[in-house]
Amino acid sequence: MTEQTDLIYLDYAASTPVDAWVAEAMTALMTADGNYANPSSTHSAGRRSVEHIAHAGSQLAGLLNTDPDHLIWTSGATESDNLAILGAAHYRQKRGRHLITMRTEHKAVTDPFSALERLGFEVTWLDPETNGLLDTAKLEAAIRDDTQLVSIMHINNEIGVIQDIAKIGAACNERDVLFHVDAAQSVGKLPIDLAALPVDLMSMTAHKVYGPKGIGALYIADRPGVHVEPLLFGGGQQRKLRPGTLPAQQIVGFGAAAAIAQSRMMDDIRHLSAMRDRLWSGIRDIPGVMTNGAMECAFPGILNVSIDDIEGESLLLALEPLCVATGSACNSKSQEASYVLRALGISDALAQSAIRFSFGRPTSAAEVDFAIERYRGAIEKLRGIAPGRAA
Amino acid sequence: MSNDPYSTRVRELFDAPAHAGALETALSASIEDQGLRIRLFAELGIGEIRVLRFQAWGCPHVIAAAEQVCAGLEGKPVSDLLEFSAAGLMQSLSVPTEKTGRILVLEDVVRSLGSIVRDASNADD
Repeated sequence: MTEQTDLIYLDYAASTPVDAWVAEAMTALMTADGNYANPSSTHSAGRRSVEHIAHAGSQLAGLLNTDPDHLIWTSGATESDNLAILGAAHYRQKRGRHLITMRTEHKAVTDPFSALERLGFEVTWLDPETNGLLDTAKLEAAIRDDTQLVSIMHINNEIGVIQDIAKIGAACNERDVLFHVDAAQSVGKLPIDLAALPVDLMSMTAHKVYGPKGIGALYIADRPGVHVEPLLFGGGQQRKLRPGTLPAQQIVGFGAAAAIAQSRMMDDIRHLSAMRDRLWSGIRDIPGVMTNGAMECAFPGILNVSIDDIEGESLLLALEPLCVATGSACNSKSQEASYVLRALGISDALAQSAIRFSFGRPTSAAEVDFAIERYRGAIEKLRGIAPGRAA
Repeated sequence: MSNDPYSTRVRELFDAPAHAGALETALSASIEDQGLRIRLFAELGIGEIRVLRFQAWGCPHVIAAAEQVCAGLEGKPVSDLLEFSAAGLMQSLSVPTEKTGRILVLEDVVRSLGSIVRDASNADD
């Protein structure tokens, strides 16, 4: 196995390392001398596990300015998205079966909507503007009397643009439509005030914010008409909305990660901005290079760039040992151009050359400089090998 | 089991394509198909391929295959160009089956170069 130290990791939008303090907090609940008891058990050890979970809930709720009772623990953002979308659609289907989302959502959102279409629901798929943002007027025009749910992500995972969830939520609330936000990329990275935002359902995950994989949460607002039907059955945990033994150590990890994120969010944003700007400054003069999504409306942890007349798969290999994401759909095994980039109106060729650089707390200026050198070198090499277009 | 999509050989050839480049005065053949662009250049000796170079716009397997073809055919009889088959490349470079079409594009351009070389030789005669 290749050691991680051989690599320059610039794929923090895909996953982050677990913070050392988070790992320590988790370990304390896993070993024989720790609080490993099943939180559903009524004995004192079980009750201690419950206390740990409650503390973690307070930490996450504190980050989001909400009440811990409004959070349901899940296995991650994919499950949260599924629970929110499928659960809300089924709960409100007697009122109507029309739903709205965007073409640029993550697969964890688009696939449940497609599944609902197969069940007879009607879905309106909104296109973004060329900068990646949703025109709220188009959403308002799409809302009908039978519309029950709108789902729009906060930070786009590929291009980093930040949707105006306050404005979108207000448009939904005005028409008594539930508003779900996939916040997998934004929780712990941008300030989110759920007490003030008109958001009914919000999905989140720990591993994008220096917590462990395998734990997420769904926020369910305490407002009339906001409810989801469960997807899982088999126990009474979490008010029967998401039964199953609660993974106390994972939850504690998420809580600790949330507390750390809250304490250093502005420092993180400043650092990510510096790294993103440094990288873009180092490559922006390469002929044919361009950003995907409006940088001025984007989260600074993500920089997505395309380049004219470069083959994406070869670019990715030439960039090694950089660990970055491609413009290919979801994984490097697929050569299909990203559906997100195509929805922006970007040509297949440009979408296929797209590279998503994403930065994290550990990213250093030296790593960014290495990435600049590697990217410039790869472009020079591949353009040197390629015949002219008219060949 | 490795989940690396590229064999060690493909990585070596892609990293250091010694035969990449153009030959200004050589015979050449080019093809643009299946999203690929490949151009081959040949300088001939007496009855043999003296120097072979390539230019390619394509995936790592195509670039590696082009490099291997050029390295393998230098010094060989010119007739080898016309008789070239890509079957061996698929195996030696562990090219995934979904990329067969791309490797066949390379086969086409090698044979096309063979035809150009043959026609040029006949014209000289």
